[in-house]
Amino acid sequence: MVFNSIPFVVFFVLFFFIYWVILGKSVKAQNILILLGSYVFYAWWDWRFLFFLIGSSVLNYFLGIGIYKSNNERYRTFLLGIGLFQGLGSLVFFKYFNFFINILIGFFGTLNIKPDIHTFDILLPLGISFYTFRTISYLLDIKRGQVKPTTDCVVFLSYVSFFPSLISGPIDKAKTLVPQLENKRVFNYSKAADNMRQILWGLFKKIVIADNCAVFTADVFNHYQTLPASSLLLGAFLFTIQVYTDFSGYSDIAIGVASLIGFNITRNFNYPFFAQNIADFWRRWHISLTSWFTDYLFNPLAIYFRDYGNTGIIISILLNFIIIGIWHGANWTFILFGFLHGCMFIPLILRGKLNTKKRQSENTLIPSAGMLLNMAATFILVMFVFVIFRSDSVSQAFDYYHRLFSPTLFSKPPIAEKVNMIVAVLAIILMFVAEWLQRNREHPLQIDFIKPFALRAAIYYGLVFLILTFSATKMADFVYLKF
Amino acid sequence: MKSKAAAFLFKITLFVLPVLIFFEVIFRLGFYPIMTTSTTYDMKMRQVRNQHIRNVKLLAIGSSVGLYGLNSSIIAHNLNSSYYNFASWGLQMADISDMLKDYADEYNPQYVMICSSFADFTMPKNESYNNYLNVNSHIRNNFPEVFYFKKYYSIHQIIRRKFKTYPVLLDEWGGSCVPTNAKGKNKVQFVLHNVFPTKYTGMNYNYLDTLSDFLQSGHIKLIFIQAPIRKDCAGTTAQQQVITTYFNQCKSIVEAHGGTYLNYYDNHVFADSLFIDQYHLKSAGSVVLTNEIVRDLKGIVK
Repeated sequence: MVFNSIPFVVFFVLFFFIYWVILGKSVKAQNILILLGSYVFYAWWDWRFLFFLIGSSVLNYFLGIGIYKSNNERYRTFLLGIGLFQGLGSLVFFKYFNFFINILIGFFGTLNIKPDIHTFDILLPLGISFYTFRTISYLLDIKRGQVKPTTDCVVFLSYVSFFPSLISGPIDKAKTLVPQLENKRVFNYSKAADNMRQILWGLFKKIVIADNCAVFTADVFNHYQTLPASSLLLGAFLFTIQVYTDFSGYSDIAIGVASLIGFNITRNFNYPFFAQNIADFWRRWHISLTSWFTDYLFNPLAIYFRDYGNTGIIISILLNFIIIGIWHGANWTFILFGFLHGCMFIPLILRGKLNTKKRQSENTLIPSAGMLLNMAATFILVMFVFVIFRSDSVSQAFDYYHRLFSPTLFSKPPIAEKVNMIVAVLAIILMFVAEWLQRNREHPLQIDFIKPFALRAAIYYGLVFLILTFSATKMADFVYLKF
Repeated sequence: MKSKAAAFLFKITLFVLPVLIFFEVIFRLGFYPIMTTSTTYDMKMRQVRNQHIRNVKLLAIGSSVGLYGLNSSIIAHNLNSSYYNFASWGLQMADISDMLKDYADEYNPQYVMICSSFADFTMPKNESYNNYLNVNSHIRNNFPEVFYFKKYYSIHQIIRRKFKTYPVLLDEWGGSCVPTNAKGKNKVQFVLHNVFPTKYTGMNYNYLDTLSDFLQSGHIKLIFIQAPIRKDCAGTTAQQQVITTYFNQCKSIVEAHGGTYLNYYDNHVFADSLFIDQYHLKSAGSVVLTNEIVRDLKGIVK
């Protein structure tokens, strides 16, 4: 069940009632409910992979305890190796097996050899990239001595399968979520009200903006060869907005839902389109994934290459981003997407500005020309690289770029669903204005400073009206569900 | 904590209440929920609900060929049995097969009459019908507002459907005539499926076989009406061959399961002037066809 569906609403209302009203006094009972609820939530998609999720969780639970209890370093490394092999191995099998086979077939093809190897129809277990990263970080943190393993099996299984962030993140580390599962949660009325506002904002972004953009972008990317360059430019722009509103909308809902049951999970987006450069962008975009890779890949690489100065940092960044690209899926497009993002860091590294955080003046109503220029430049770079992310193949992406720079760039793009397009554009403007004005808050609907209740209610109902009236003709799946 | 959480739930319910009331109001104002992608089908299901149609002895079904090809009053008055025409635009054998499994329980027919042409064997299954068929009949008959939320269609789409759809006026038995303008020309622009066979034809034959088998096992008599087609559809020898193969295929499937196969492909009886296009009959054409059917069914429908 997806967040924006009736089954989920029914599920969550029931869950909320049982969780707080019936089981409010017992943390253990609440955790059991979280675990059962998470498994129901997961099985709703495809029950067959539930057993894989349970098996993987149980194995990692015991590995965690084993690593912690053992004094033998080699044995600890061995146990960690089993966990990494299971986690990364299943990722490689389910996500990348056919990709590697195709590479192999292509390689032999260049040698005029036709090997008797074939690809398989492999179903990807939903959310595998997200929950596997949780188990891996758990084991690595225990091995590093940063966290103690939990001895409560229910707590650990709930951590791995925690339903608000099971399918598409945010990817919480054990040190964030496990202590919260072990301790008593308290219902906070005003926080819950704020969570509902965040969920409403997430729904607005997903249903009004992302889904309406998706109608147009699907058409553009499927028929780009017959469309004028102006359509391709608009397609690239709207796809960038689509990915952001879709994924950040999902994250807003996930964070809101988690918080409604008393959990603070990692913030995933921090207004990335106001970033002043690419490093700033990645500090604000898919934060939980970036910080995961920073902790477990970039930092060890940077230490390993520390004797090579800037070259070492560049190598570390490039490797880090290539792996981030591969994490998204088994396609050269994702590898190139990661590589190009890595390349965009090079000027910053060479100028020694990688970690320089440009402060946005907190209270200015209108950004300065310099800030605006930086934001626009970062956005344009990101937008062009997202063309590769969206394309089915690298050659398609290059063909798209080739057609993008043609005289038809200045023609009027044909638009089939005009009303939806107008609504999407107006909603995007509304979103940017609201996000800019509220950029120091966690989400733009934190509007407690508006004192008249009627005005606040009008804003909430206004958003509800937009959601109900202008959702797209076709509800698109959340983009990150396929990862 | 308990009371705070309960109070929170209560307040959220209060917040949502105006939204639910809003949907009830637009329902009463005639802005009905979109249940499937077929406007005619949704309209027909509303009529079934409003007329409280329950037991139908002779149940007709099919695409626009069956919707416009069968004259309801001739059938209802001459065959002396309860009758309703469930045909709607674009139904394929695959869709009909799914629907009959549902209708057999709900309407208890003794006879199922499929009035069909080759166009009903040309497209894939329309999955949107499941949005209606998968819902418990008690809910869909008594609480249709649920379809506003089951598969959400925006209010903008609901308004657009209400004001921008083809004019289909249903008679009390679910049948219809092609609406004509003052000059006697039809107002409806049909999307014709003239390419035959297609890659979906085999699949639709399989569904005809499945539904024939299903009806036979439920002791429901299948009557398959091969609707007439205009002369130019089978103008060449090659076309004639394709059409003959199609007729034979349908006949053999239907008769293998104890059904009755009636073919009205006769260019002498059905002159070109009785057609709107290749396979849709005008009002006068439907009268000619229905009289022929009624004459043939008198010994079959008892």
